[in-house]
Amino acid sequence: MSTENKSGWIVTALAGLRDWTNDRLPIVAAWERHMSKYYAPKNFNFWYFFGVLSLVVLVMQLLTGIWLTMNYTDSAEAAFASVEYIMRDVEWGWLLRYMHSTGASAFFIVVYLHMFRGLMYGSYKKPRELVWVFGMAIYLVLVMEGFMGYVLPWGQMSYWGANVIVSLVGAIPVIGEDLLVWVRGDYLISGATLNRFFALHVVALPIVLLALVVLHLLALHEVGSNNPDGIEIKKNKGPDGIPLDGVPFHPYYTVHDLVGITVFLFVFCFVVFFMPEMGGYFLEHANFQEADALKTPEHVPPVWYYTPFYSMLRAVTVPLFGIDAKFWGLIVMFGAIAILFVVPWLDRSPVKSIRYKGWYSRIALLAFTVAFIILGVLGTQSVSPGRTLLAQAMTVVYFAFFFLMPWYTAKEQTFPEPARVTGRWITWKQIIITLGLLAALVILPLKAVGAESNVELDHVEVNIEDQASLQSGFKYYMNYCVACHSLGYARYERTANDLGIPTDLVTENLIFGDHQIGDLMDNSMSTDNAKNWFGASPPDLTLIGRVRSPEWLYTYLRSFYADESRPYGVNNKVFPNVGMPNVMHELQGDVVCAGGEHCELEHVSGTGSMTPEEFDKTVADVVNFLYYVAEPIRATREYIGFFVLGFLAILFVFTTLLNREYWKGIH
Amino acid sequence: MSEDGTDSGRRRFLLGSTSVVGVAGVVGAAVPFVGSWSPSAKARAAGAAVRVDISSIEPGSILGPIPAWRGRPIFVVRRTEEALAALASQDPRLQDPESTQPEQPEYATNEYRSRRPEILVLVGLCPHLFCSPTPHIELRAESWDEQWKGGFFCPCHGSRFDLAGRVYQGSPASRNMQVPPYYYESDSVLVIGEDGVNA
Ligand code: FES
Repeated sequence: MSTENKSGWIVTALAGLRDWTNDRLPIVAAWERHMSKYYAPKNFNFWYFFGVLSLVVLVMQLLTGIWLTMNYTDSAEAAFASVEYIMRDVEWGWLLRYMHSTGASAFFIVVYLHMFRGLMYGSYKKPRELVWVFGMAIYLVLVMEGFMGYVLPWGQMSYWGANVIVSLVGAIPVIGEDLLVWVRGDYLISGATLNRFFALHVVALPIVLLALVVLHLLALHEVGSNNPDGIEIKKNKGPDGIPLDGVPFHPYYTVHDLVGITVFLFVFCFVVFFMPEMGGYFLEHANFQEADALKTPEHVPPVWYYTPFYSMLRAVTVPLFGIDAKFWGLIVMFGAIAILFVVPWLDRSPVKSIRYKGWYSRIALLAFTVAFIILGVLGTQSVSPGRTLLAQAMTVVYFAFFFLMPWYTAKEQTFPEPARVTGRWITWKQIIITLGLLAALVILPLKAVGAESNVELDHVEVNIEDQASLQSGFKYYMNYCVACHSLGYARYERTANDLGIPTDLVTENLIFGDHQIGDLMDNSMSTDNAKNWFGASPPDLTLIGRVRSPEWLYTYLRSFYADESRPYGVNNKVFPNVGMPNVMHELQGDVVCAGGEHCELEHVSGTGSMTPEEFDKTVADVVNFLYYVAEPIRATREYIGFFVLGFLAILFVFTTLLNREYWKGIH
Repeated sequence: MSEDGTDSGRRRFLLGSTSVVGVAGVVGAAVPFVGSWSPSAKARAAGAAVRVDISSIEPGSILGPIPAWRGRPIFVVRRTEEALAALASQDPRLQDPESTQPEQPEYATNEYRSRRPEILVLVGLCPHLFCSPTPHIELRAESWDEQWKGGFFCPCHGSRFDLAGRVYQGSPASRNMQVPPYYYESDSVLVIGEDGVNA
């Protein structure tokens, strides 16, 4: 047999299998209906990537989520530790977790842009009302899914965030209090709440979400896609019944979407591998501290994707009809989402797209966008009278966009719609002008209400490549700190290996009690002793390098000074009245607070076994070590990241060329 | 649309090469998912050697099952003179009396399958389908064997092993029970899970 015959045999067999299946399940018809004979307008611009990107993120979240449950423990006692177990002990667990945490934010980014696209091009208008309503339902479920997922790591933000949001239920008049207890399953947020949120997050809501996504797509494929011109392509069909301005989704939009997906993955992977915390927006710093029902963090902002609604909640400060402001805040917050559901019936414009709507609509959309972003930014900040006022004004703008819509869309002068879709693309000029305008409108009001102020911190260089510094930091930590502060999520062996210390050296000198080299460094004084000596148990410090910045730690450790009024005879400038002695006093020597009011720290020369320079270096080493041990995978993560981004760059070249090859004949 | 096929060669090349790169990407993306199923650092740490004090084990009695060497049940038996003498008599009824299969470290490849004749160290798992056999270490008639000279009986499918962990003929299991790596740190301290320096 020749090779041609052989491959012919395989093709025949596959075709046979396809036909056999198709006689029993309409796979060919489904493929044609949704892919190869689904005609999409040929003038999609980049805004049309975000739908398919939502699907990509959804799949990624499902996969990483399933994998995370394999090692996550949903109990109040073990949840936090199990997340660190995933981050440190499970092979590749860190990547799965970062993909999932970054995926959550990415989900909201693409969904918000996808929704904005719908608002801009009128994709909600007849006959696509149901597509929009299902989409909004997806968003609502996503909000709940994200909220419950955020509780699962059981950090301080998980706990107090859940506390704040769940407590809103209590604002409902009459039944609120009882309902609140029922929702929590306890008299405060507890393990019972965590358990039910876990079940809802990993089983119930994903099922609902998937069902809604199917409905969203089925409804879309029934009526066909909208486009930037907002003109129905089905109005202009050729003799063969195919829309003149349509192209089959497959292969044209499959190759097209591949380019968008590649670009998205590049950005996504950049975040995952190089800035998974995203400056505290994707993973909040305070959430690296285990939930503590007795201590609220200084500042409890929700994750960024809820902040616009959170701002509206806080903006309502007046009671009405004898009912608490809290309740009205709740109404406003949910109303802000609920009102989006009815947009299809608020818009009275004869045209769909913003391209042909009048100036009222354009200005309204711009004002709405500005309000949404400003509310979002305000939601991440603590309140001040100015900010509250701004938030109130923006809440009014937000709702005015909807409430006035029936009026301004009917009243305004629209522009004539062309008969066929245009080949018009968004120009750089348009993008720059829009972004500039948006930036100005967002930044100016925020500037006016003031920025956050910060404590002055001393600068310190951290370098996790500097093994000598890390080794010295580890040594001093084990000599001066570990007696009180365990490193309960890190293991001796891994630390020794990462720091280039021979394991037998660690076994002989640094391991306490009956610990093995593979064990966690959770040895420290017993909790009872700690309570007796310090009045509170000293916290575990494995993750302090993620809770506090290196600068903070460095400044803090160097800012002890003699103060006879305090129990240990010392106080701290950065953390006043802290209940911790200056453990490195024998190294540092005496420091006094000179200059009264301003308290300039001054070293008493001749005291301490180290010179101030040596001491500073030692503290920097300890800080460097804490920075390393908070995330031991950091160096590997960045190293792998370069290869992943390199690969995606290559993939981008191929997908772009493929896309061009298919689209070169389409005008 | 270019249906004329003038460029179909180029198109096919691009399709093929993009697919190859894409598949490589999918394989790469599968690495963390597949890799995360390997034993974690915690599981590996649990596999560290365990110290056992054997001084209190009376002749003819057993210590265990103790979780040691990756958390598996370990049997430590101090065999009597009588039991040791009886081992050779069982040879004709065994599947692998000479311990030819590599189910034990080199230092336990002998007639007693142990470093010291009287101390038997075994992984308490049946080589058939990994149930844990029940120790029946007295030398007396048992329901499954009139001439039982002590050993282990697996409750799952009835595999039988003698007091050196060697499997009897007619058992579903076809290999001897495994001897873990171990050494004596001192006269009375046994370290299970490592071969020791003088291995
Ligand atoms: S598992 Fe022991 S006999 Fe089958």
